[in-house]
Amino acid sequence: MGFLSRLFEPKHGLALLWMILAALVVGGIVIAALCALPSRYRKWVVVGVTFVAGLFYSIEFLIPRENYLTARKPLVADLSIVIGSFAVLIGITNLFQIHWKSLSRMKQGMWYNGLAFFVSFFAILTTGFLKDSVSGSNGEVFAGAFDILFTGFLTSLNAATFSLVAFYIVSAAYRSFRIRSAESALLMIAAAIVMLALVPVGALLTDWLPKTGFFSIFRIERMGYWILTSPNMAAQRAMALGIAVGSLAMGLRIWLSLEKGSFFDRQL
Amino acid sequence: MSASTEFANPMVWVVEGILVFFILFKILSARRGAQLFIRRIPGLTVLDEAVGRATEMGKPILYLPGLSGLGIVGLQAMAILSHVVRHAAKYGTRVVVALADALLYTVAEEVTKDAYATEGYPERFVPDDVRFLSERQFAFASGVVGIQHREQVASAFYFGDFFAESLIIAENGQMVGAIQVAGTPQTTQVPFFLVACDYTIIGDEYYAASAYLSREPTLLGSLVGQDYGKLLLIGLVLLGTVFATVSALAPDISAVPYLRKMFLDFFPRGL
Repeated sequence: MGFLSRLFEPKHGLALLWMILAALVVGGIVIAALCALPSRYRKWVVVGVTFVAGLFYSIEFLIPRENYLTARKPLVADLSIVIGSFAVLIGITNLFQIHWKSLSRMKQGMWYNGLAFFVSFFAILTTGFLKDSVSGSNGEVFAGAFDILFTGFLTSLNAATFSLVAFYIVSAAYRSFRIRSAESALLMIAAAIVMLALVPVGALLTDWLPKTGFFSIFRIERMGYWILTSPNMAAQRAMALGIAVGSLAMGLRIWLSLEKGSFFDRQL
Repeated sequence: MSASTEFANPMVWVVEGILVFFILFKILSARRGAQLFIRRIPGLTVLDEAVGRATEMGKPILYLPGLSGLGIVGLQAMAILSHVVRHAAKYGTRVVVALADALLYTVAEEVTKDAYATEGYPERFVPDDVRFLSERQFAFASGVVGIQHREQVASAFYFGDFFAESLIIAENGQMVGAIQVAGTPQTTQVPFFLVACDYTIIGDEYYAASAYLSREPTLLGSLVGQDYGKLLLIGLVLLGTVFATVSALAPDISAVPYLRKMFLDFFPRGL
């Protein structure tokens, strides 16, 4: 525990550089060893690692209190992050390949996307590194440039794309509320009640009904609340229960390497 | 009993133990040759039809595992991808796969390559058709929308974890006239897919997909075991409802509040 914990402590300066190099070398050796293994042995390595990893989390959860394994959970999570970071490089390589092809061949309708990718990738990469490594007024310039790229461009573009959802909701709502069958009529009525129940004018429509007694259940805000908390909640919970059992079964099949018939049996 | 929901309480041992028993028992029976019935799932039956449509139109298919990472949801998406690619490979139809997770991208590439090889057409695999777009949600959505419009996809499959980007993607699929089939365990996104897609797989049907498509006995057994598990959970829900109702209607019966308390102690919130 002590050695591994020290290994994953944050490093700075030369120690960080050495750690990166060592990680690359060790990672390369492990990958090369796995590739060199005959496929029948490789299968058992994958099965074994999957089983041990699954067993760790299962036992840690099933023991009903903090236990020996609980303290080691962050360490295992760090190992997962390290493995995941290798894949990021592969993802970036794929992006480079696709965009370089479209740019170098000046593909119709695509080359400017490639150009935008390379310009933005290197701009944010350079300013991101320089803002942390350059001190003084130059560092502030790079920090400002990074802020413009990140907050000014990326965050704004994210928000702009998200805002498109509002427009798409209108077109989707129009399509779904067209009454073509008994089910769509029911959907339309339920949606209209829920929407009216959420706005003051909706409550005003049935304000003449008594606030207590039998007829109060026909007040639009009460009907809307009932739709949301009874039939809607029941359906949501039914789905959640099904999904929970489904994910348990899928997890069990993967943990015990029983997931056959899709790609697992051939890939190993 | 632990009040914390971070660790299992004794009832988790019991309920999970029974669920695991049902699943493993049915897997073993299926492997021994027991005939198991599973109902028709329209959203999964239509997968082959959607591939056929793309072939007839001479346009590509788009497959998205959403924002799924390398977890249970992502792996199930890969199992469905394998089926779609194998079917498309027979007809020489392109399948464009766009991903938001670098780790899952490596798996998707292998699955696609393997599916083409299994069908006997390894030369039809185009590495550029499996694309890592971005781990950022809306950058990924923008990238997908670009692919939908540039490639004019004829069919689109959305299987995996989707969040706020689901409607953007599905509505753009509608715009290009693609037949769309979606399935996600994210219940909050199901309504969006229902209104924008032609077929939507709801709830645990998502986890039934690999069994339904492959008809592999192990997976079919697991699926039937899941149904027994659901019956157990329905029974527990009914029991809890009876305790709650009786204790509200007849609080004077001394045993009822005791039984209700015992039930709530065994099934604390968050179980």
